[in-house]
Amino acid sequence: MSGSKKTFVITRFDPDRDEAPRQQSYEIEVDPRWKVLDALNHIKDEVDPSLSHRWSCRMAVCGSCGMMVDGKPSLTCKDSLADHGDTVEVAPLANFPVVRDLVVELEGFLDKLKQVKPWIIRAKERAVEEGTHRQSPAEHQEFKQFSMCINCMLCYSACPVVANEPDFLGPAAIALGHRYNLDSRDEGDHERQEVFRGEGSVFSCSYANECSEVCPKNVDPAAAVNQAKFRAVIDWATSFVVPRGGEG
Amino acid sequence: MGRPAHPDAMKSSRPSPTRMAPPQMPSEYPMGGRYRAYTLFDATGFVYLLVGLLGVRVVWALGDGPVAWAQLQSELQNPLYVGFHLLALLSVLFVGVRFFRLFPKAQPPRIGPAKPPPQPVILGGLYAAWLGVTLLMAAILSGGLL
Amino acid sequence: MLEIVEHDIVIVGGGGAGLRAAIAAVEADPAASVAMISKVYPMRSHTVSAEGGAAAVAREDDNFEMHGYDTVKGSDFLGDQDVIQYFVEQAPRELTRLEHWGCPWSRNEDGSVATRAFGGMSTKRTWYAADKVGFHMLHALFQHSLRFDRIVRYDEQFVTKLVVVDGAVRGVVALDVREGNMRLFLGRAVILTTGGAGKIFPFTTNGNIKTGDGMALAYREGVALKDMEFVQYHPTGLPGTGILITEGTRGEGAYLKNGRGERFLIEYDHGVGHKAELGPRDMISRAIIREMEAGRGVESEWGLVVHLDLTHIGEERIMSKLPMVRELCQIYVHVDPVHEPIPVRPVVHYMMGGVDVDIDGATSLPGLYAAGETACASLNGANRLGSNSLTECLVFGARAGQHAIAFAKGSSGANQSACQDIAEQESARIESLRARKGGSERIAGLRAEMHHSMETGCGVYREQDSMDDTVRKTTELRERYAALKLEDDSRVFNTELIAALELGNMLLVAEAVAVSASHRHESRGAHARRDQPTRDDQNFLYHTLCHWDSGGPRLDRKDVTLGKWEPEERKY
Repeated sequence: MSGSKKTFVITRFDPDRDEAPRQQSYEIEVDPRWKVLDALNHIKDEVDPSLSHRWSCRMAVCGSCGMMVDGKPSLTCKDSLADHGDTVEVAPLANFPVVRDLVVELEGFLDKLKQVKPWIIRAKERAVEEGTHRQSPAEHQEFKQFSMCINCMLCYSACPVVANEPDFLGPAAIALGHRYNLDSRDEGDHERQEVFRGEGSVFSCSYANECSEVCPKNVDPAAAVNQAKFRAVIDWATSFVVPRGGEG
Repeated sequence: MGRPAHPDAMKSSRPSPTRMAPPQMPSEYPMGGRYRAYTLFDATGFVYLLVGLLGVRVVWALGDGPVAWAQLQSELQNPLYVGFHLLALLSVLFVGVRFFRLFPKAQPPRIGPAKPPPQPVILGGLYAAWLGVTLLMAAILSGGLL
Repeated sequence: MLEIVEHDIVIVGGGGAGLRAAIAAVEADPAASVAMISKVYPMRSHTVSAEGGAAAVAREDDNFEMHGYDTVKGSDFLGDQDVIQYFVEQAPRELTRLEHWGCPWSRNEDGSVATRAFGGMSTKRTWYAADKVGFHMLHALFQHSLRFDRIVRYDEQFVTKLVVVDGAVRGVVALDVREGNMRLFLGRAVILTTGGAGKIFPFTTNGNIKTGDGMALAYREGVALKDMEFVQYHPTGLPGTGILITEGTRGEGAYLKNGRGERFLIEYDHGVGHKAELGPRDMISRAIIREMEAGRGVESEWGLVVHLDLTHIGEERIMSKLPMVRELCQIYVHVDPVHEPIPVRPVVHYMMGGVDVDIDGATSLPGLYAAGETACASLNGANRLGSNSLTECLVFGARAGQHAIAFAKGSSGANQSACQDIAEQESARIESLRARKGGSERIAGLRAEMHHSMETGCGVYREQDSMDDTVRKTTELRERYAALKLEDDSRVFNTELIAALELGNMLLVAEAVAVSASHRHESRGAHARRDQPTRDDQNFLYHTLCHWDSGGPRLDRKDVTLGKWEPEERKY
């Protein structure tokens, strides 16, 4: 296939050299079948080895290569160059501190993820000898969608609440907490309700729905966050009717 | 490049010795791209505030007697007021449709043992209820039920 | 100033095997402190890309004997039978534990875990979660690991050297990619779980991070790499990118078809017999190459391919069992498998070889353990059966974790100043590499030459001359690496420096693969020679050991553990 030229305007930042992020342009020959990531790798290998970006699986499942492409959060290994014009702007994910060039700080997310206790909680751990849990296909279906999150962070960079409220747990973390609440094997609902009812949690969400618009895996985190709101309200209301004893 | 986001957005609880560039908001926020719909959705709140204030004026005029009431009624014939009411109608429709698009998926798959009906049923119910309330209000306001 | 961190054990790598090892260690000893060092955040590890499933006996019509025999036969009788026996017995326990930790295994109507057919397996014993099994396993393990405060993660840190003092491993030295500084991790045992080295080849299913780092770390310290000549070509990769299309497609009934539309595994004799599409990977990859050479391939914009046909499976089943396959085909080759066949060709997928370990995951160096694709416990022999490797990560990751923590408890602390000296030297080496001026060799240039040479000499089919060329070439490239040119001398997140270190690792591993291959004068499993087309148990029923010795590779051999199943002709 014949190549054509495109100009990539890439945000660069090296904390030891740059006061603030700056933009740098690269005009390169591209294969029309390339994804945005292929162009970045070409620039890194052949034009400017100092360009820093994260990537690995190049098949849209490891979640490393999220960036802003032409102003929108994008998983660059999935984003076809053919869908962009002759000039393509690539910047680090919005709403995140920038470590270097296209590399953002992920530690904040990992803090938030841990807060929702994303693991199976049970009053009594099941022994291996007891075998697997029975879980019907219908029960599996209930949480399946929310277990598809690849932690690519596009949802965080699309969310207006994340931009303004540093304590907000955010779409992916809440979706994962909610995923465990919906899992028939889990008994940690009440523990996670404490988290969800707290500051900077589900009720901070203003339902802009942007997280779900940009999610490359159709997880629909906005649905998860707002289902969690619904459940939190129901849980709060029923707590007056059915006083909670020693359970959970 | 966008406007700066909150300087602590997505910050780590562990300090890093390395200086980082502060987080930026998405460049399209708040008026560009898909954010426009969300921003307009929020902005309709201002329209409802004005409608509310007008409502207060209506009650006030009623209390002031027939002259004030007649004067207000003639004032409301003004094309500016008509335009404002059209805007209010559009706002309600916009918010209604957006609400109905997003609301059904906020239903958890089950509440206790109860499973909610399928989404098309919820959505149909919502629109039917909306239409019903609208017709009822129209009937009351036109004096048909009084 | 060199920072020093101390833990009981240090795990290098945060994928399936590393996470399982870490969890096993803290379960075995809740007071243990475990460092998990990974060059990427754990959820980016390449375990994430595994698709089809994980094998373990689950059904009434199955038993350990059958799983064991299938694995031995799949390995072309080069698997160690004590290891295989242990593996098949532990496999159901490990997958059950993962179920308890939240892995969303697909289910049968009665709520039990569903299993699917896989290549070389005589019954349905592959547990699956649609076609994202590695992804779900990795995230379940990672999220479960978050509950243990004694597992301390050091993410995005690149281990450059093992610290060996008085004949035992005492820790590692790592570069903090984000801060740019070096850190000494002291630990009384070290477990390597860094995955394979598919990136020594140009066309691979492997992600960018699979650069053989753990293999190179151990190899440099004199630990042997075992059976490196056995490189698995997966039959069905997407042309162009090399993205994996899971064997689960064939497990669900997909056909392989040539340019004439024939199911060539049935129409012609390719040795897989009635198994057809469910034959083992080495044989099917060879069958595809032979079809292409016989002029029965399919011309495509990416060159010759064959077709993987799912169209008769139906949209509903594809969406429930193989949704990612459909998504990948639509994005990367613009084909909808519901309506059209998928173009595929064999692609480098997995290293059967690796760091030589025993059944406990222990290497010849006291305190050093390895598990997962990095290691070679000789479960897979000359050819791995699909869906055994995810289970392998769990079974042998757990065992390595338990044994490493037991070893750590029984051993005394190291001579810290000797460790510090090594770390200071290593720090200086990395610093000088970063600040290097001049040099004539480009990273991308050396990498491309390595790729070309490995593909030519160590492909699906091999010959003495081309293997010897690859040996010479990889040795030459390793020497030219000394003149590497680096253009980025920055401190923070210097990915050129990482790429340079990875290239150094890959060149060592590539040379070991080529040297090992050139000395096996027979065809066995994935090592298929045109000039020596038959298996020769008389002379070659042994494991190849490749040692780093006075500046070059030296080969040695090790017996295969038999005992239960005698070698026989491998026919399906």
